[in-house]
This record gives sequence, C-alpha cells and structure tokens, in this order.
Amino acid sequence: MRSQVLLILAGVVGLLLLSTSALAHHGAASLYDVSKETTVKVTITEFVWTNPHVEVGIASVDDKRARWLLEVGSPPNIANRGWTSKSLKVGDVVTVTFNPGLRGTRIGRLLKVVLPDGKELKA
Amino acid sequence: MRAQRLLIVTAGLLAAAVAGCAGGSAAPAPAPRPDVSGTWVHPGGPGGASLRPAEGFPLTPWAAEKMKSEKPTFSSDFRETTDPAVLYADPNGYPRIQMHPMKFKLVQTDDYVYHLWEYNQNWRQIAMNKEHSPDAPATWYGNAVGKWDGDTLVVDSTGYKASTWLTGQGVPHTEDLHIVERIRRDGDTLVVHFTFEDPGAFTKPWSAEVKYERVEDGAMIETIYTISDELRFRERFLGVPSPIPIRR
Repeated sequence: MRSQVLLILAGVVGLLLLSTSALAHHGAASLYDVSKETTVKVTITEFVWTNPHVEVGIASVDDKRARWLLEVGSPPNIANRGWTSKSLKVGDVVTVTFNPGLRGTRIGRLLKVVLPDGKELKA
Repeated sequence: MRAQRLLIVTAGLLAAAVAGCAGGSAAPAPAPRPDVSGTWVHPGGPGGASLRPAEGFPLTPWAAEKMKSEKPTFSSDFRETTDPAVLYADPNGYPRIQMHPMKFKLVQTDDYVYHLWEYNQNWRQIAMNKEHSPDAPATWYGNAVGKWDGDTLVVDSTGYKASTWLTGQGVPHTEDLHIVERIRRDGDTLVVHFTFEDPGAFTKPWSAEVKYERVEDGAMIETIYTISDELRFRERFLGVPSPIPIRR
C-alpha cells in the first residue's frame, strides 16, 4: 500500500517536472490540456516574433471559422531549434500539432509544424 | 692559427653575451590564468536548471509561510500567479536568472568578470580582488566581489532586493541574503557550486550545484521582455483586458 502511494507521488512529481520543463514563462499545464494533441491542416493567419512567446494564428483549411491562437517558445529557444522570424508567413498552408487550451478556449501550445515543403519544425 | 683561435674566443663571448642577455632580462613566465570565460547553457532543455538542495529548503517559519502563499506559474492558475517576474515583468534577480534556459556568457577582464545573460539582456559585474561596498543599495543582481582560488572563481555576493524569488517555485529570501559561489571549468562543463545563507529565510546555510555546457556558437539573441509583452500575452491568450495602454 505504502509503495503504491509512493509510486503515485512519484508520478505526480514527474508530471509536474514535465510540465515545468515545457515553458519558462509559465507551466504548460496551467493553460493547456497537455494530455491532448490536435493535428489539423491550417492556413497561417499571423506569425508574430515576440516575447514572451512567439505567436501563430491559424485557421482550419476545412472550416475557416475554426481558428486558434498558438503560442510557441521564446525567440532564442526556438531559434536553437531551427526557427527564424521568417519561418512562417500569412497564407502558408501547413499542418500543425498542438495541445489545445483548457476549458475549450481557442488557444493552444504548438508542438510541431510541417511546412509546405515537408520540413518539420519542433516548437 | 692565431686568427682561428681569436675567432673561436669571439664566437664564444658572443654566445655567452646573447645567452646572458636572454636569461637576465626575461620576465618570469606569468602564472597560467584560470579561465571560466565563454558561452554556457544549462543542458536541461527549455525548463532550465533547478536549484534543489538534497534535503529540501531549510525554511524558517516566515519563509515557509511566505512560500506557501505564493502562486508559481508552474503549479497554479496562470491568471492568479504571484510570480513577480511575470506579474510585474520584474528582472529575475539572482540566482533565478542563472536557472533560466537561455544562454549566458562570462567575460573575464583584469578587474571585473562580467556575467551576461541572454534573457532580458541582464548582466552583473563581479569586482575582482575588492571588498564589498559598505553602503551599496540592494539591487536585482546584488553586489558581487570575486577572487581566484586556484582554478576556481570564488564569488561572494550580498545586497539583493528582497522582492525576487530564488527560484521559479517561489523560494523567498530577505535583504540579508549572502551567496558564495565557487565556479570552475571542467573541460566543456562549467560547475557552479552555490552556498546560501540568510538567517531570516533559512534555518541553516544550504548548498546546491548546477552544471552548464559550453556552447560553440556564442551568438546571443535579443530577447527583452517588457510589461507590454506580458499584458499583450494576457490579453490575447487569457482574454484579460489590459488596464493600461500597451504597445501593439
């Protein structure tokens, strides 16, 4: 019984550490459902290279009313993963995967984007 | 024969003069200078480094109560956070900025070591072989003096604003915080050993060690985070209207 409690505690601490390591500005789990991933083909509606997080506006290709605002890491952190301030432009059609906002909010945490040329950028 | 002997003697005298000249006027070779300079980053990924003593933080009752009342962004609703680095876009302070997942650079000169952080372009100076200024005001990054102990840079610092957190988890401190760091290079690893003393916040001194990796590319990107950035983020991602005009 005691070992089960310890295992559960270890799991909780592990999850906390995982969500902590996601973003420096705030914990991912404080805004997003980190247990869910949404993948959708979208058109880029905005790409803002800013602090504390780069912002990506998207609209579903199939349903233009389905729009989200996604956050990415901070500029230096994603630059280390191959991003530049020109990686996306308005009108690009790409496939994004993100953690959706909690409680159905139209925000998300971008996990990766597949560009028109097939190149993948991790967020 | 006589001419040949004269030539040999002359050559010998010349050689002795040159050797004497070289030996007599050369300054003693300088001691090798310890080197912690370069660009470094914590290898732990975007979450940055942690600062956790093995036995937990030895908090005084005041500090335990204060930490309990804080709402870090990692473990509570972001809207309600009390983290001053987010709520007011305050500088991280020290050593919290040193746990940040971005790069930092150490630049050595004869009289100062400069500690430059990519995050927010913040920096501190470590005055070498000097005493603490007796009337230095409390600042975000403290009053730091340093000296070499063999290959280790020993930094002694005081004079920190009490409003900063030591870590993103909300570990508090008072203006009596005293930090001693022992910084040394082990190949491509920078080892920083911290010891913290603060009778108002900790029941005893405690230590922690953090390691950083050398970065080949020393380029650092401007990333200045302002209150406008924070309010804009809150407006766009949380739907919280800004109470003041902000830059768009």
